[in-house]
Amino acid sequence: MKKLALAVTSSLIIAAATAAAAAAAGGVASFTADAQQSRLEFVGVQAGAEFKGVFHKFTAGVEFAPDALASSRIDVQIDMNSVDSKDKDRDATIRDKDVFDVSHNPTAHYVTKTITKTATGFAAVGALTLRGVTKDVPIEFQFAPADGGAKLSGSAKLNRLDFGVGQGEWKSTETIGDAVKINFSLVLKPKS
Amino acid sequence: MPNQNSSTRYSAVAQSFHWIIAALIVTQFTLGWTAQFLPLGARKVARLDWHKSFGMTILALAVLRLLWRLFNRPPELPAGMTPIEKTLARATHVLFYVLLFVMPLTGWMMSSAKNYSVSWFHQFTWPNLIGPNEQAFDLLKTTHDTLSWLLFALALLHILAALKHHYWNKDDVLKRMLPFTKTEKRT
Repeated sequence: MKKLALAVTSSLIIAAATAAAAAAAGGVASFTADAQQSRLEFVGVQAGAEFKGVFHKFTAGVEFAPDALASSRIDVQIDMNSVDSKDKDRDATIRDKDVFDVSHNPTAHYVTKTITKTATGFAAVGALTLRGVTKDVPIEFQFAPADGGAKLSGSAKLNRLDFGVGQGEWKSTETIGDAVKINFSLVLKPKS
Repeated sequence: MPNQNSSTRYSAVAQSFHWIIAALIVTQFTLGWTAQFLPLGARKVARLDWHKSFGMTILALAVLRLLWRLFNRPPELPAGMTPIEKTLARATHVLFYVLLFVMPLTGWMMSSAKNYSVSWFHQFTWPNLIGPNEQAFDLLKTTHDTLSWLLFALALLHILAALKHHYWNKDDVLKRMLPFTKTEKRT
């Protein structure tokens, strides 16, 4: 009788422990990106040659656990005015109404809808709102925990004309290529 | 009279370098000088795109031409020219060679300083020579623009001198650079 009681108790403990573990797996860690150390870069093609630019100001909220992808999420807000392509003339053109139109669309927003595991890391599909147009953009990224926080880095490809980035004379893909590469490297700190 | 039988004409290679580069320089002036009047926009970017591709072509040809020149003596200048005329003619040609390098190089550096990498007819991209730098760009642009005027003046002098030799001195200085013409052998 005692043996049976012990067995039942043991089973209950194991079951409870398993349930707790499952609950823990469903939870995700919350982070914010460190603005100083994080980098958001885009690579365009102008007159046949690549050029790089960065956004100096953006905020990112990341809820992520590799074993709880269903409840993981990456949410990025970008201050389009903070664009910097290392040439003030080009930056002024980019901010102007034909390209980013920052006076009407000061921020861009990216939020993931689904995240899946891949052979090398993770892939996500998210909604990008850029220049008032919202479209799905897939990204690929790596997630590496690092002293208290984590590093999230990856890349994406999009076509600028899908979002109306480039009106009038800037619609031509001869001068400015349609395809734009995005590279990001976020240094994540636990959300306080 | 010294025997100049084999040195009275420029070779076909030297003539090709001369006329192809001359045609490219005329193209460059047309593209470069008209681009500066265009407002900052796609048309200006496109025109300067051509300007840069042709400019890099000239730089590559200048390297080949200089190598060729180092191993192939040009025909002698006419014996009737005074020492000052000869010195002036040689100085003009040396300056042409210098500008064949300096014009494309300052242009290339300008593009680098403004963080606009130079493509060669959209086939490949040349590396940047310097990092983004606004002050360097302004200085390089002034240099490039000023030297374009010097090149223009030099070309004018060169053309007028060639015509003077042909019509006034009635020597073969112009003819020996022209394809499909014959120069008389000086005996």
